[in-house]
Amino acid sequence: MTAAQDFLTASSLHKAFDGAQAVDGVSFTIRQGEIFGLLGPNGAGKTTTIRMLSTVLQADAGDVTIGGFSVGRQGDEVRRLIGVCPQELALYPELSASDNMIFFGRMAGLSGREAKAAARQNLETVGLADRAKDKVDKFSGGMKRRVNIAIALMNRPRMLFLDEPTVGIDPQSRNHIFETVESLRDGGMTVLYTTHYMEEADRLCDRIGIMDHGRLISLGAPRELKARIGDPDQVTLESVFLDLTGRSLRD
Amino acid sequence: MPTVLHQALLIAAKDTRIFFKDRFAVGFSFLFPFLFVIGFTLALSGQGPDDSPLTITVSSQEETEAGETLMAGMIAESPLTIRQLDYDEALAQVESGDLDGFVSFPVGFTQALTEGRPATLEVVTGGGSAESAAALRSFADHVAGELAAVQNTYSALSLLGEAGQADLDAIDWSAALGSRDYAIRFEVETVGEVGPFNASNFTLPGYLTMFVFFAAAMSAEAIARERQTNTLERLMSNGTRREAIVLGKFIGASYRGVAQLAVMWTVGIVAFDIDLGASPAAVIVISALMVLASSAFGLLLASLVSSVRAAATAGVLASLTLAPLGGCWWPLFITPQWMQSLAKITPHGWANTGFNKLMLFGAEFGDVTQEMAALLLFGVAFLAFALWRFRLTAS
Repeated sequence: MTAAQDFLTASSLHKAFDGAQAVDGVSFTIRQGEIFGLLGPNGAGKTTTIRMLSTVLQADAGDVTIGGFSVGRQGDEVRRLIGVCPQELALYPELSASDNMIFFGRMAGLSGREAKAAARQNLETVGLADRAKDKVDKFSGGMKRRVNIAIALMNRPRMLFLDEPTVGIDPQSRNHIFETVESLRDGGMTVLYTTHYMEEADRLCDRIGIMDHGRLISLGAPRELKARIGDPDQVTLESVFLDLTGRSLRD
Repeated sequence: MPTVLHQALLIAAKDTRIFFKDRFAVGFSFLFPFLFVIGFTLALSGQGPDDSPLTITVSSQEETEAGETLMAGMIAESPLTIRQLDYDEALAQVESGDLDGFVSFPVGFTQALTEGRPATLEVVTGGGSAESAAALRSFADHVAGELAAVQNTYSALSLLGEAGQADLDAIDWSAALGSRDYAIRFEVETVGEVGPFNASNFTLPGYLTMFVFFAAAMSAEAIARERQTNTLERLMSNGTRREAIVLGKFIGASYRGVAQLAVMWTVGIVAFDIDLGASPAAVIVISALMVLASSAFGLLLASLVSSVRAAATAGVLASLTLAPLGGCWWPLFITPQWMQSLAKITPHGWANTGFNKLMLFGAEFGDVTQEMAALLLFGVAFLAFALWRFRLTAS
């Protein structure tokens, strides 16, 4: 792999809240077209890192480039390249799936016609084309999660941030989301994916970074990480995770 | 990327759409105020000036021609409405509470009068209105005074030997009672057609002001909820400017306020027959400025609270405190001076003062420029604070 294939480069990111260091010197790269998993216990600094990468939060120190643009200095250019699916269901339950998507598409700069076309296409992608006109309020948890992802695709991003996109949904919906993410990757999209489900990361991610106490403590392909503590065919990613982050409760 | 204004208008349109999908919010903003307006208009109707004449009930127990002449004279010449009732019937009505009281001329009253002896005039009152009892006593005093004057004249003439034996029937009682003015005169001047007092002229603007601010305060809760669900942060990551979000929320709240104005004034004029006064344009300008101030007030509240629950509590508390303080529940001009002064710290107070001046006291456009300036100042100050402190995330 060459540096030219790196789509995202994070260098020595720092962020503190009220004196507590949430992110402490995190550096990593994400290659174009790969699914990069960011794992870590609660409070490890994953969401803060994503918020800095996606231009919402300004880093205290360090820099990030995405697609060759600096997040700190070229925020508008970066925002055109990225789509963000937050952990929360950041949508309007009173509106239909289609109206939600058209609204966010238009806010991103699409014309009315472009937004409608993109909404149709993305609802197709997440398997909700037949429910386009239904109010999101009436959807199941899994369907809402899929709309949440579809909204992030409205501006045709080259990189997608998915922050725990499968929390609280049934296996069928989760599997559908896996297939969607894989098809996006196959289409050339770069994905940063955070999750607490180790089997999910093992299945989807090309490489994984494990964070704890605001630091990146391990980085590599799932098989490489497993090989560090034993036979990669016998060891689970969960064992690696617990080995690295410890077994004490964090909440 | 779209301009800030374009983004703001998209946000406002989306918020307006969501608002009109919420039946409770629509009912609360558009129908609920009318329940208050109807209730308080009914409660306050019948208050105010009433030019119907005072009615005095009298009863004569005399069956002489002189007594009848005296009664006929009073009825014919009095500026008051005199109603004659049989003594027993009048007494029964007082006892049953149907009549506050009456003045009675006992048997032998005119006889005693003409013979120069003391005559007794009886005032019978029940336990009802103190005002009615006072009116009856005043009337009886007046009659007694008038008749005493006639009696004195008659006695004087008798002493001079010019009249000889009095012929009671020869005395012109009606002239005696009617030829002189009453000690207290009521002059009622009616210019044009004076209709009954319309309480809606102050209840409707008051509740309009209250509910426009109430609805705006509710928007603070919606903003807090958006913070919680991260839609505002998502918009930011989507390229939306912070100023566009604040402006969009402001414009959206203003759309709803204008819709409230349109509905309430239209229904007010059509159904409640309210009078916008000499300058309807000034009423519209005050209304529009009040909406701008209320929309900015909603943003101010949203900037001060950190959770949905806090926003809901702050919205209700602020609305229910500022409304009475600002004269939404009763006209400020009937309150003590200190309350009128206190009202000036609220935008509600300035709006209601402006509406009252225009709709009750015939003020022209130029008479309410101070109220307009105050509302504008409130709006600008609230909006400036919101722009400074508005947060997009809950944390």
